[in-house]
Amino acid sequence: MNSRETFTDLAIRAALMVAVYVVFAAMLPSYHTVRGAAALLDGGVLIGLTALGIGITMIAGEFDLSVGSLAAVIGVLTVNLIIAGMSIIPAIAIAVAVACAFGALQGFVIAVTGINSLVFTIGTLIGLRGFAMIISNENSVTIPIPRLGETDFLAQRVFGLLSPLSILLFAVFFVTHLFLRYTVWGREIFATGGGRAEARAAGVSIIRPMVISFALSGTLAGLAGAVSSVRLGSATPLGFDTLLLSAVTACLIGGIALEGGKGTVLGILIGLFTMRFLVGGVASLGAPYWLQSLAIGALLIFVLIVQLSSTLIRDRATGSALLELAPP
Amino acid sequence: MIAGLLGRLAPAGGPATEAQAPARRRLAFLFMGIGIVALLVIGGLTTPSFLTLENLLVVIRAASITGIIAIGMSYITISGNLFALSAEELAILAACVFAFLMRDDYGLAVSLIATLIFAAGSGAIQGGVISLGGDPIITTLAFGALFRGIASLVSDNKNILLGTKAAEWLGTGRPLGVPTQSWAFVILTLVAWFVLQRTRFGRQLLLIGANRPAARASGLRVGQASIVAMTLFGVCCGMAGISAAAQFGLAVANLFSGLTIDVVAAVLVGGIPLKGGQGSPVQAALGAVFIALLQNFMLLHSFTTGWRMFVIGSLVALATIGFHLLQKRQA
Amino acid sequence: MDDDPLVLRVSGLTKSYGSVAALKGVEFGLRRGEVMALLGENGAGKSTLVKILAGLEHPDAGQIEIDGRPARLRSPSQSLQAGVAYVTQELSIISALSVAENICLGGRSQNPIWTASSLAQRVKPYLELVGLGDVDPATTAGKLSVAQRQLVEIARLLSRDAKILILDEPTAALSDVEIGKVTSVVTKLAKEGRSIIYVTHRLGEVFEIGDRVTIFRNGVSFEPIAVKGLSVDTLIERLLGRRLEQMFPARASKFGEVVLSIHDLVAPGLSHPVSLELRAGEILGLAGQLGSGANAIVRAVAGVAPPTAGSIRLRGQRLNPRDMRDAIRSGVAYCSDDRKRDGIFAVRKLTENLTAPSIDKITVAGLINRRRESEMSRRLAEFFEINLSRLGSQAGKLSGGNQQKVALGKWLGIEPSILLVEEPTRGVDVGARAEIYRHLRKLADQGLAIIFASSDNQEVLGLADTVATFFRGQIVRVSPATQMEHSSLLRDVTHPENLAAGREAA
Repeated sequence: MNSRETFTDLAIRAALMVAVYVVFAAMLPSYHTVRGAAALLDGGVLIGLTALGIGITMIAGEFDLSVGSLAAVIGVLTVNLIIAGMSIIPAIAIAVAVACAFGALQGFVIAVTGINSLVFTIGTLIGLRGFAMIISNENSVTIPIPRLGETDFLAQRVFGLLSPLSILLFAVFFVTHLFLRYTVWGREIFATGGGRAEARAAGVSIIRPMVISFALSGTLAGLAGAVSSVRLGSATPLGFDTLLLSAVTACLIGGIALEGGKGTVLGILIGLFTMRFLVGGVASLGAPYWLQSLAIGALLIFVLIVQLSSTLIRDRATGSALLELAPP
Repeated sequence: MIAGLLGRLAPAGGPATEAQAPARRRLAFLFMGIGIVALLVIGGLTTPSFLTLENLLVVIRAASITGIIAIGMSYITISGNLFALSAEELAILAACVFAFLMRDDYGLAVSLIATLIFAAGSGAIQGGVISLGGDPIITTLAFGALFRGIASLVSDNKNILLGTKAAEWLGTGRPLGVPTQSWAFVILTLVAWFVLQRTRFGRQLLLIGANRPAARASGLRVGQASIVAMTLFGVCCGMAGISAAAQFGLAVANLFSGLTIDVVAAVLVGGIPLKGGQGSPVQAALGAVFIALLQNFMLLHSFTTGWRMFVIGSLVALATIGFHLLQKRQA
Repeated sequence: MDDDPLVLRVSGLTKSYGSVAALKGVEFGLRRGEVMALLGENGAGKSTLVKILAGLEHPDAGQIEIDGRPARLRSPSQSLQAGVAYVTQELSIISALSVAENICLGGRSQNPIWTASSLAQRVKPYLELVGLGDVDPATTAGKLSVAQRQLVEIARLLSRDAKILILDEPTAALSDVEIGKVTSVVTKLAKEGRSIIYVTHRLGEVFEIGDRVTIFRNGVSFEPIAVKGLSVDTLIERLLGRRLEQMFPARASKFGEVVLSIHDLVAPGLSHPVSLELRAGEILGLAGQLGSGANAIVRAVAGVAPPTAGSIRLRGQRLNPRDMRDAIRSGVAYCSDDRKRDGIFAVRKLTENLTAPSIDKITVAGLINRRRESEMSRRLAEFFEINLSRLGSQAGKLSGGNQQKVALGKWLGIEPSILLVEEPTRGVDVGARAEIYRHLRKLADQGLAIIFASSDNQEVLGLADTVATFFRGQIVRVSPATQMEHSSLLRDVTHPENLAAGREAA
C-alpha cells in the first residue's frame, strides 16, 4: 500500500479503537479517570511487546509460536537472577540478552534449513515450557520480600498517566518503527515476507532478515516476560499461556497480513489497545474471566469477516481467483 | 495464510516443489517403528513395571484421547488446511454438553448422539468459514476462543457432574481387557485409513491437499471437502470429550490442558507433511502412541514435568527438522 | 578482435532437472564490451544458462570464469558480488514494496538508513533511463503494470553497476517505444565497456543491437555468428534447422460441423470484441506475445475468466460456465500454461493424476474401483505414449514432457467436446513435443475440436489448421495456416500494420 492507503487503513482501525473506548467509557467511570487510563496502558505492556515481536515475524512471512513459552522462561530466569543477588536492571538486561540469543538461533536454524517456522516453533514452544519448569523447579519463584522494594520504581507515574512500563512500551514501539521503516534491514524483512523468492533473486540474503526478525521476537517476548515478572514480584513457569493468542489477535486487528510483507508498527499498537479496551472493559464490568475469551474470539471472527468480504469483493472484480491466476 | 505459508514451505532457495517421495512416509514408519520398539526394549530393561500389561494399557488409554483427535487432525493436514487449533476447546465443550445431557436424565444413547451431532456441527461451521476463504489458523483460533468462552459460560466454571454411572463404561470400561477409548482409537484409525485409501472422498481429499488449484481445475469441490474434513474432526473432538467426561464422571472448563499441542505434536512426529496431499492417519496414530510411550517411560523414570515437556519439545523440533531435511535431499 | 580477452567464459556446463537434460556441456564466451544475443526455442537451454550465471541454479558440472578467474556463483548475492547483474523472465519485483525499494534492495548499499527521499534521489536517474521518469519512486510496485514492472527490473539492473549484464527476454511485455528505450540503453552500456548477454525471441532486436549471436538448440550452443553481414534468412535457417518437417504431423484436410462459435466476446485481456468459429476436427492456434489477449479467449471459454459481453455456443448450446466444474460438465477441457501450479498433482501417482477429473467414472458405491482406475489410466497413458511402468510413480518425478502429457491426457477421461490448451509444450523437450503434436492431431482426427494459445510462433504455424494472431488485446488476422508465412506471423504479433483487418474475421 502506498502512504495514502496506509493512512486510510490505519485511520479506520484507529476509529474502531476509539469507538470501543467510547462504548466502554460510557459504562465505566474508571475509563474516564487518569488512573483508569493508566491502568489500561500498563495492562497492555505485556501483550504489546509480545505482539510487536510476533508481528515482526509475521511481516517476514513466518510465525513465532514460542513467544509465550519464551516469556515464561525469561520471567523465571530474571527472578532467579534477582534471587541470586543481582539487582533488578542488570538481571532484566541479562535475561533479555539470553532471549535475544535464543531468538537469533531460532531464526538461523529456520533460515538455513528452510523449515516452516510454524512447525518448528511448535517444538520450541513445548520445549521452552519444559525448560521454564526445570529452572523454576516446577514452582513459582518469588522475589525475596526484603528486596521487593527495589521494584517500586516501576509503579511511579509521570503525569499520573505513564509509568516506566508504558513509557517502555511506547519507546520500544517507536524505535522498532524507525528500524522497520527507515533501515535497509527493516525493509529486507518486508521483502522476505512480501516475496521470498523474489527477494532472493534480487540478491537479498535471506538469512539476515530471518535472524533479525526472530531475534527481535525473542527479545521482545523476553522483555515482556522479564518486566512483567519483576512488576508482579514473581514468575510462574506455566504463566503467559494465553499470551500467544492475545498477541496474534492484536496483530491481526492491527492489520498485519498473514501472508507477510504488510503491516505497520502503529497498526499493532492500535490493535493492541482495541483489544485492551475491549477486554479490560469486559473485566471491569464485572464479567467473569471466560467472557474475555469470548470477546477475543468475537474480535477474531470480526477480523475474519472483514478479510473474507474484501477477498470476495476483489474476486468478483477479476475472475482470476478461480485458479489463482495472474490477470491476463 | 495458506497461500503464504505454503509458499514458504518450499525450501528457501530451492526450485519449485518437486515430488517428495513416499520415502518420507516409509522413513516415518521406520522411525516410529524403531522408536517404539527401542522404547519398549530399553524401557523393559531399565524399568521393572514398564512392560507389564497394566502399564501398557495405561499408555494405550493415554494415547487414545490424543490419538482420536490426531486422526481427525490428520485429515485436516492431509487436505492442505494445516491444523485446526480449536481441538481442546471443542473437546471441552462437547464434554460439557454431554455432562449436561446426562445430568438432566436424557439417557446415554440420546446424550451420546446429541453430543456427537453438536460436535460435528461445530466442526462443520468452522469448515464452512474456511471454505469461504477464511484462513484455517485464524478461523480455528477464533472458534476455539469462542468455544472456551461458551464452555465456561454453560458450566459456570464449576464441575458438571454426570450424576449417573451409566456412562462409566465408556470412560473406564475394559471390554475384553482393552480400554473402551482404545477400541475407539484403533477402530477409528482403521476406518480413517480405509476411507482415505479407498473411497472417493479420500481420493478427493488427497488430491485437494496435493494441489488445490489443480483440484479445482479438475472439477473437484474443494470447499465441500474442507467442510467434511472439519466435521469429521469435530466428531473426533466430541468423542474425546465424551470419553473424558465419562471417565471422570464430570466435565469442567479446564478438563483438558495442552491437548491441541499434544495432537499437533503427534501429527508432526508421525511425519505427515504440512503441505498436504500425502500421508496416512496411521502415521498420526503412531505418533500419538510413540509420544504416550515416551511420556510413560519418562514418568516411570521420575522425570519431572519440566523435563518431560522439554524432551517432547525437543523431539518435535528434531523430528520436524529431520523430515524436512529428508524432503530437501529428495528434491 | 579475436585476441580480446573474454570477460566471461563458460565451459562444459551441464545441468539436468530430474531426467531432463537442460544443458549438455555448453561452451560459451562473452567478450568485453559486446552485446551477445542468445537465440533458441523454449527449452533449448538459454534460460538455464542465464539462471546459472545469476546464481539461481547450480550446474551439475562445468566451469565458469570471470575475467580469467574461476567464479563461484552459488547464490544471487554471490553473482552480484562477482559483477553479474541480470533480469530474468520471471519478474522478481516485490509487490508490497515501493519502486525505489525494489530497485535498491539487494544491491550494495552504502547507507543503511533508507528514507523515501534519499532512495528516490538514488533511483531517479535509472528510472529516467528506462523511460519511467514520470513514475513516483514511492509508488507501491504492486500497482504497476507488467510492462512497468519489467522496466523497473531493468532499472534495477542498471543500478547494479555490474560489468556483465544479462537480460532474459526483457522486452516481452513492452511496447515499441519502450523497447526502443531499452535497446538504446543496452547499446550505450556496451559502448561504456560493459558486456551484455541478451536473450530474445525477436529477431529484429538481434539485428538492432547484437554484435554476435549464439544459437541454442536442445541444450547445446553453437559457435557464435557475427551479426554484421548476417541475413534474416540465414539466421532463421540456422535457428530452425531442418527438423521443422519432422516435428509436426500432417494437417487435416476436412472438418466436421461447427462445434464452437464465439460471437462478439469481450473478456478480461481483450480490448475489442472477438468472433471466431471452430469445427470438429479443427485445430485453431492463437498466436500472440505476453499480454496480447491470446489466452483470454481460452480462459473465457474454460470458465476461468468469465466474459463480460458476447456469447459462446458449444454445439449450438449457450455456454456460460460459472466455474470450472460447470465447464467440465459441459464437455470443456482446459489445460493452463502452468502445469506445476494447476496441471498435475506432483506428489500423487500417475494413475491418480490421470483419473482426477473423472473420479465419478471410476467410483462404484462411493469406493474407488481399482480395476476401472487401472483401465482408464492405462488407456490414457497408452494414447499419450507414456511408459506404462511409470504409472505408479509420482507425477512430479517425471520429465517435463511426460508431465505435460499427464496434464493433457487426464482430460480424455471426461470425453470432452473441446480441448483448450495454453502453451501446450512449455518446458518440454523436442522428442516429447513431436509426440504431443502427434497426439493432439490424432485427437482432432477423432473429432475433438482443439484451441491452443502459444507464444511459440513455430508451434502455432506447424500444428494449427487455422491461425488467429493477437496483438494488445485484439485479433490481427485469422487465416488458414497454409496461407500464412512465418515472417508475417511474427510481424502480426510484434508490430502489426493493419489492425482493422483482423476484426472482420469469422
